[in-house]
Amino acid sequence: MQILGISSNLSFSQKTFADSLKLPYPLLSDFPHLKVIKIYGGLNTQWDSTTAQRYFFLIDRQGIVRGKWPGKVDQVFHSEPILKMAKEIADKH
Amino acid sequence: MAVSVIVALMAAVNAQTAERPALLELLKALNVSAYPSLMHPPEFNGLTADGQNVSLASLSCRVLVLSFWATWCLECRPEMAAFERLHREFSVKGLAVVGINAREGTTTIREYAKDLRLTFPLILDSTGKINSGYGVIGLPTTFLIGRDGRPVALAVGPREWDGKPGRALIGALLAERAVLKERR
Repeated sequence: MQILGISSNLSFSQKTFADSLKLPYPLLSDFPHLKVIKIYGGLNTQWDSTTAQRYFFLIDRQGIVRGKWPGKVDQVFHSEPILKMAKEIADKH
Repeated sequence: MAVSVIVALMAAVNAQTAERPALLELLKALNVSAYPSLMHPPEFNGLTADGQNVSLASLSCRVLVLSFWATWCLECRPEMAAFERLHREFSVKGLAVVGINAREGTTTIREYAKDLRLTFPLILDSTGKINSGYGVIGLPTTFLIGRDGRPVALAVGPREWDGKPGRALIGALLAERAVLKERR
């Protein structure tokens, strides 16, 4: 399984963030056009449309989106639903 | 596709620094993180506690130590004193030490500077815009930028910047030729 984080921040600030938290997975910068964020329907239109809403997507080996979970700002997202679905997909293969 | 882009970027990690193996060793000795060669530090422009205007562009051709700090940050205190020593010793050779405060007021910063006898510029960031642009989420966080404007090192947490490895690293960067290059 590969975890990727994507945000509208510059890759420079993402590096600081990743080093600060010692993240073991890559962060992708969607700055400045937020192309991927828009394609995935994750644009934060309620605020300023320059940032992404918090979302989690699960994509299988064939590139099919199997699940989408919204996250709330300042709330810990419980990863059990994603892990459960990932395990189900993995078990089928 | 995205993964292959990342792999390509990782392969390009610090191409400029990789050409200087001695510099890589110095980064390792100080336990600081290196940068991919394609990255550029974000431009900033701010007022110091003394009312001076300081921007990244105004510091071009100098080796820059950019320290993000706050008066309430206990680990910042000895580091700020060390930066002052480096500032006094190396500013004539082309070192610029700049502190960027995290959302505190002028009076608080001035009292702190007076207490520690700090003479290098301390920039106010009352909105947190500069901190956010650099992705700072913990203090102290320090960036080291070369004379050519390239980011050289990132340290999250305190380091002994005026110890032997820190001085050797700063000395090596000061010895690099100044290249006039537009910062992005």
